[in-house]
Amino acid sequence: MTVLELRDVVKEYPGSPPIRALEGVSISVARSELVGIVGASGSGKSTMMNIIGTLARPTSGTVWLEGRDVSTRRDQTLAGLRAARIGFVFQQFHLVPGLSATDNVATGLVYRRIGRAKRRQAAEVALRQVGLGHRLDHRPRQLSGGERQRVAIARALVGEPALILADEPTGNLDSKTGEGIIQLILDLNRQGRTILIITHDQGIAARLHRRIELVDGRVVADVRNGEAA
Amino acid sequence: MMEATARSRIRPLDLLRSGGQGLSTRPGRTMLTALGIAIGIAAMIGVLGISASSKAALLRQIDDLGTNLLAVQAGQSVFGEQAKLPEAAPAMVRRIPPVEQAAALTSVSASVRRTNYIPESETNGITVYAAEVETADTLQAKLAQGRFLDTATVRTPAIVLGAVSAERLGITSISEGPMVYLNGHWFNVIGILDPLPLNPDLDRAAFIGYPTAAKLFDTKPNASTIYLRTHPDQVEGVRALLGRTANPENPNEVQVSRPSDALEAKATVDQNLTRLLLGLGAVALVVGGVGIANVMVISVLERRSEIGLRRALGAKRMHIAGQFVTESVLLSLIGGVGGAVLGATVTQVYASRQGWVVDIPVAALAAGVAVALAVGALAGLYPAIRAARMDPAEAVHPTG
Ligand SMILES: Nc1ncnc2c1ncn2[C@@H]1O[C@H](COP(=O)(O)OP(=O)(O)OP(=O)(O)O)[C@@H](O)[C@H]1O
Ligand SMILES: [Mg+2]
Repeated sequence: MTVLELRDVVKEYPGSPPIRALEGVSISVARSELVGIVGASGSGKSTMMNIIGTLARPTSGTVWLEGRDVSTRRDQTLAGLRAARIGFVFQQFHLVPGLSATDNVATGLVYRRIGRAKRRQAAEVALRQVGLGHRLDHRPRQLSGGERQRVAIARALVGEPALILADEPTGNLDSKTGEGIIQLILDLNRQGRTILIITHDQGIAARLHRRIELVDGRVVADVRNGEAA
Repeated sequence: MMEATARSRIRPLDLLRSGGQGLSTRPGRTMLTALGIAIGIAAMIGVLGISASSKAALLRQIDDLGTNLLAVQAGQSVFGEQAKLPEAAPAMVRRIPPVEQAAALTSVSASVRRTNYIPESETNGITVYAAEVETADTLQAKLAQGRFLDTATVRTPAIVLGAVSAERLGITSISEGPMVYLNGHWFNVIGILDPLPLNPDLDRAAFIGYPTAAKLFDTKPNASTIYLRTHPDQVEGVRALLGRTANPENPNEVQVSRPSDALEAKATVDQNLTRLLLGLGAVALVVGGVGIANVMVISVLERRSEIGLRRALGAKRMHIAGQFVTESVLLSLIGGVGGAVLGATVTQVYASRQGWVVDIPVAALAAGVAVALAVGALAGLYPAIRAARMDPAEAVHPTG
């Protein structure tokens, strides 16, 4: 079953001349897939991720999320969609410094009008899932880089989204810590979650089920690895 | 499958929390910014409180003194010369039913001196009056020393001094039997009055009996001023009658005044100062508001990535705007409440030092906090709109 489909997606940033970050991208992602998106710096990976995540609109082309065309929806409809169906993981974690791990994860449910007690409950479950059951009350400052990224992953998980988007989740981590995060992502995928992960690291990409390679805003390779990892 | 109803919604309490979060992570900045508003509000409440307390004190004083005292003066004739009230005027005035008390005074051409060595031309600014025995009661004058004139002493060379007169003559006590010299005659000082708030001009007067004045200085019995107390509810009615009663032939020459009006005028004169100070408070508030707006703009820029994150987590533009307006309103609320407390404290301290009963208008406190909230909402609007308009894709990425 298709979770995500892009057809002829073009993204142009204004400028003179305008920058065409995506030049007609068409891909389709099924439920429970784990897809790596690779490409050189400036090839359009983050642009593609923003469009998939409905943080940006394509200049032309169509994006379907769970069968719905999201390229033309109103901002508030897209916000609702992100709140319920999409989980984001960023390279620089984006945790709120003043909040505990639990409260940071619970923020993932704030825009779904879920009460604080319930949010915190769900957040604890998610933190245990990422192996941080012993760090519930720690502030981001008191956590290591790998732990911070685990908190961010728990925040993406907590709303049970249809799709998790991770933009260079290991980019700020050393290779050993990064490896732990990749293991976690593989685990989560094994439990059935659909995950798109942007990475520079060809080694990591090789261990994912599927690898999409971008060059100058075009898909130049879309390879299934079969039995990966 | 995606629910058709998946909407982005936030609980009001969570919106409040999201607004408070930014403040609690930067307590120092929060307090300094709130201080601007606090000063403005404190100034306004202090001014309102102090002027309300002083006005209340003044009105209470006026009430104590009574607003039912009227003064009838001869005024001037149509030819511009000092008119005289008819001899019968005091008796006529006393006959008006609501008049409870009355006393006539007639100015005496004599000067008061400590000794006969001082030249007669030095009057010390003291006016000598022939006074009826009812004068002290009618004016509700209290005696600092001794007694007022009575039916016996009006016939003797006895004199009662106003507070200022006594001071100018250097007489502080009557126990040594001080005497003063009036145009060739020695008088015993038998009493000294306390100051008369309603009739400060009489503080510079000295009172002798009518019979004595007539005998020694040839004073005519025509009153220059008649003071009277009316029933408190009939002041205006009596006032209207006084001209005709006191001087039936020339009612227009008669001047009727109410001494308490002068004090009440003082209470209203203060309002101009109050307005000026309120204006200054308002300026402080505007400056405080600009300060909040400034800090909020900075806060929005600093928290780009948080805004991006919240948008990624499903916040609508309205939620982001709401968060920053909430933050700004909370900021000004802290300032407003702090300012109200500060203003009330200042009023309390000032008023009790003045010996006034403290009167902090609750409405002013509420208005102060409300004004602070309004300032906060207004100041937060522009930064909030900027935050809401941020491109979420650019906001989540480290550099634009
Ligand atoms: N907001 C923007 N305005 C203008 N140009 C942009 C904007 N965002 C990205 N670009 C341009 O679009 C192109 C693709 O950028 P994008 O960030 O998608 O690349 P990327 O593959 O994620 O690169 P990296 O690996 O360095 O993160 C680049 O040439 C970039 O300069
Ligand atoms: Mg990128």
